[in-house]
Amino acid sequence: MAANPMTQFEVYRIGPEIKVGAFDISFTNASLFMVISSLAILIIFNLGSKKNSILPNKIQLLAELSYSFVSKMISDTAGSKAKPYFSFIFSLFMFVLFCNMFGMIPYTFTVTSHIIVTFILAAFIFIGVTVIGFIKHGFGYLKLFVPSGVPIVLLPLIVVIEIISYLSRPISLSVRLFANMMAGHTMMKVFGGFVVSLGIVGGWLPLSFSVALTGLEILVAFLQAYVFAILTCIYLNDALNLHH
Amino acid sequence: MSKDPFKTRLEIAKKKVSKRDLENKKDNQSPIGTAFKLSTELVSAVAVGTIIGFLLDKTFGTKPWLILIFFFVGVVAGIINVIRSAKKMQK
Repeated sequence: MAANPMTQFEVYRIGPEIKVGAFDISFTNASLFMVISSLAILIIFNLGSKKNSILPNKIQLLAELSYSFVSKMISDTAGSKAKPYFSFIFSLFMFVLFCNMFGMIPYTFTVTSHIIVTFILAAFIFIGVTVIGFIKHGFGYLKLFVPSGVPIVLLPLIVVIEIISYLSRPISLSVRLFANMMAGHTMMKVFGGFVVSLGIVGGWLPLSFSVALTGLEILVAFLQAYVFAILTCIYLNDALNLHH
Repeated sequence: MSKDPFKTRLEIAKKKVSKRDLENKKDNQSPIGTAFKLSTELVSAVAVGTIIGFLLDKTFGTKPWLILIFFFVGVVAGIINVIRSAKKMQK
């Protein structure tokens, strides 16, 4: 019998149980893979920026390419005012990308396939962007909820709708990343299970599907990290350049 | 000596890069990505509306009226979200 496709998302404890008050903060496999991705980013970018040669080696090229990629993305979507937030968006993009990519290696754990991880990231972005908006515009930031040219009778309804649409941002941001990662990994596991259960006679078709899906998943892993970062830029743009 | 040959070459290369960027800008998102983006925009607004309605119902004890009203407000907000992001894509 093929393994349950959802067991790959199980979180279990590594090492001793640690409790602070009512909270269980033990080190789990999810934490392990977050640490691994962060360390990988740190190592790659430290090696990449160590030697500033004019003719870059592979690691330096990787670091420079990703730097210019994110920097271009920010200036395209949020303008030059968003430059001070470069480091935040860059680390966000790299973290999501590396978590997604580490999940593609067999027997690893995909951190971003858990809604709580993506939701915390999105909620952090949401609160940060709102705070930035209030710092830059004061209470004028509330004008975001009042579009111009609306009849006064409709205004209460429109404001409620705008508030709901604003509050739905972190949810749509987190659900998108989580659902993409989880659906893709479940599908790969299901096709893998077909290969095993159909055996050597009929297993070739699902096997070829699995290979194709792996390629698709690598694309999705990159694309979702990109979408996550670019939507952060768009929200930041709304907060920095207030116009409606 | 009219011009530094390196500078002219650099200018030509820069022009090529900006031209290529303009061409790339038109479609750099995959269809699956855009479809998924629109659907989550719709669903999340409905979810937020319903949650707000549920919480208000609980605090005011007006079950089930506010959850009904806010569900439909959420639907409207979701449709507005979808229209907005579709407009942004067309730009």
